[in-house]
Amino acid sequence: MSTSPSPQSSDDASLVVAAREGDRAAFGGLYARYARMVHGILLARVPHNDVDDLVQDVFLRALPRLRDLRDAAKFGPWLAAITRNCANDFHRQTRTIAAATDSLSEDEAELPASKPAPAAEAAMILAFVRNLPNAYRETLILRLVEGMTGPEIAARTGLTPGSVRVNLHRGMQQLREKLSQAAPDTSIQPQVRPGKNSTVQDKNGLRGRNEP
Amino acid sequence: MNDDYLWDSSGEPDPEIQKLETALGRFRHQDREPNFPEVMPFAKPRFWQRVLPSRWSLGFGLAAATAVILLIVAIGILQWSQKQGVTSGPGWDLESVAGTPRVESGAFGKRAKAGKLGIGQTLVTDSHSQATISVAEIGTVNVEPNTRLRLMAGGKGRHQLALERGTIHAFIWAAPGEFTVDTPSAIAVDLGCAYTLHVDNSGAGLLRTTLGWVGFKLDDHEAFIPAGAVCATRPKVGPGTPYFEDASVSFRDALSKFDFAAKSPEERSAELGKILAEARERDALTVWHLLARAGEPDRGRVYDRLATLVPPPSGVTRDGILRLDPKMLDLWWNQLDLGDVSLWRTWERSWSRDKTSGK
Repeated sequence: MSTSPSPQSSDDASLVVAAREGDRAAFGGLYARYARMVHGILLARVPHNDVDDLVQDVFLRALPRLRDLRDAAKFGPWLAAITRNCANDFHRQTRTIAAATDSLSEDEAELPASKPAPAAEAAMILAFVRNLPNAYRETLILRLVEGMTGPEIAARTGLTPGSVRVNLHRGMQQLREKLSQAAPDTSIQPQVRPGKNSTVQDKNGLRGRNEP
Repeated sequence: MNDDYLWDSSGEPDPEIQKLETALGRFRHQDREPNFPEVMPFAKPRFWQRVLPSRWSLGFGLAAATAVILLIVAIGILQWSQKQGVTSGPGWDLESVAGTPRVESGAFGKRAKAGKLGIGQTLVTDSHSQATISVAEIGTVNVEPNTRLRLMAGGKGRHQLALERGTIHAFIWAAPGEFTVDTPSAIAVDLGCAYTLHVDNSGAGLLRTTLGWVGFKLDDHEAFIPAGAVCATRPKVGPGTPYFEDASVSFRDALSKFDFAAKSPEERSAELGKILAEARERDALTVWHLLARAGEPDRGRVYDRLATLVPPPSGVTRDGILRLDPKMLDLWWNQLDLGDVSLWRTWERSWSRDKTSGK
């Protein structure tokens, strides 16, 4: 997807040019800018325990290929594609595609009747995010896990701001629906009140849309 | 839901999102820069380093010997691959992922891991081989086993593959419309960013979009497939109606019959009734496509159903839609918020020009 050049991409371009010349600090600068994006894209696709190692693999894979990147301003989308390929290679090698959601698939991600421990609750929410459609889960993980804003996600990945906004909105809607179906009696359950499509807030601060 | 807070953390904080941020924050990237190689792989040595190597050490000698050995090996591989018919000139870079993919008659996986796919050349993978193609500077295509594809064009602003059979995964970041894949029953047009395309031995295909959206076209028959949706295609029929994969089984069954199995207008009309009855708000994607696919007598009820799912925007009238006014159809599509149709129209115009001029 094409986006118009931004100050961000021109800054990237100068770092890419310097890194090509062997400037290690410049490559470190690119790492500092893009590590969260790479981490988030991987987290949307591979088991959590393998993500940190793969982040390093992605940058090590990108490093010698920098000279092939003719439009230095497109570093972000280029790196995002390398990251997705790296995740695919991971699955090819391990042949554990089904394990991409760690040990917790969506089917298994039902909350216990009592309030779950924070770590278990977080793992469960992550499992739900990772079972959303690709476009939504990647964008949502960059926002909710990595703490990037919508404009940042667009600038880094090369997606248009409009696409990111739509992905965030729809992804959040679907996540809320899944959580409300799975967690009837726990802290993340949205409170349901009468009225079609109304948005309500529960005592714990999570909201959900009523089903008709 | 507070959209401003979700978008850029501005405005009144949304407690629901804050709670999710707190819970999921434990998975956040820890900001530790790994140890990258001290010597960058393609760093240019300074002048004095080139003229006066500062360390006449064992390390320097070993490095020089290694470089000579690598050079000899590289020359050997190059000569071998030329003998085997793997193009070394302009083309797309190929990398063997598994087994021994073949370009024309030359296998490049056994000894050389990399090769080139020249324009007009065919890449074939058997049941044990896989390959990755770097598409100029615009993306990559992963080629699964039992696939046969040909590079049709690789020029500036136009990159075209023909997939005869098998499966490819395309990750493309080029401008929308620059990368296309011909199949026996439709052309897939990348509108950014990632999708999987499968073609079986009969020429029937299935396209699954994972990111962005993709257009599918045969003559005047077109389909737009956003992330999370799939679309089947059949020889001589072209693309069917796209649908989201999470649609109900009965919805998908009825759609398949409507597209490819129903023989009489009555049968199609009956299947259409099932589709409209089952359609959820999200299935507006499918229902919008049905406007142009339903017979004239049925178009009114398709309009009515779509209007309940996504109200027509200003400038769209029932009469206009019933006579398939292209501008009104496009306006309504944009209202679905699945992708800007102007990208597609731009590609269509340039494609028609190229076709007319015989490019």
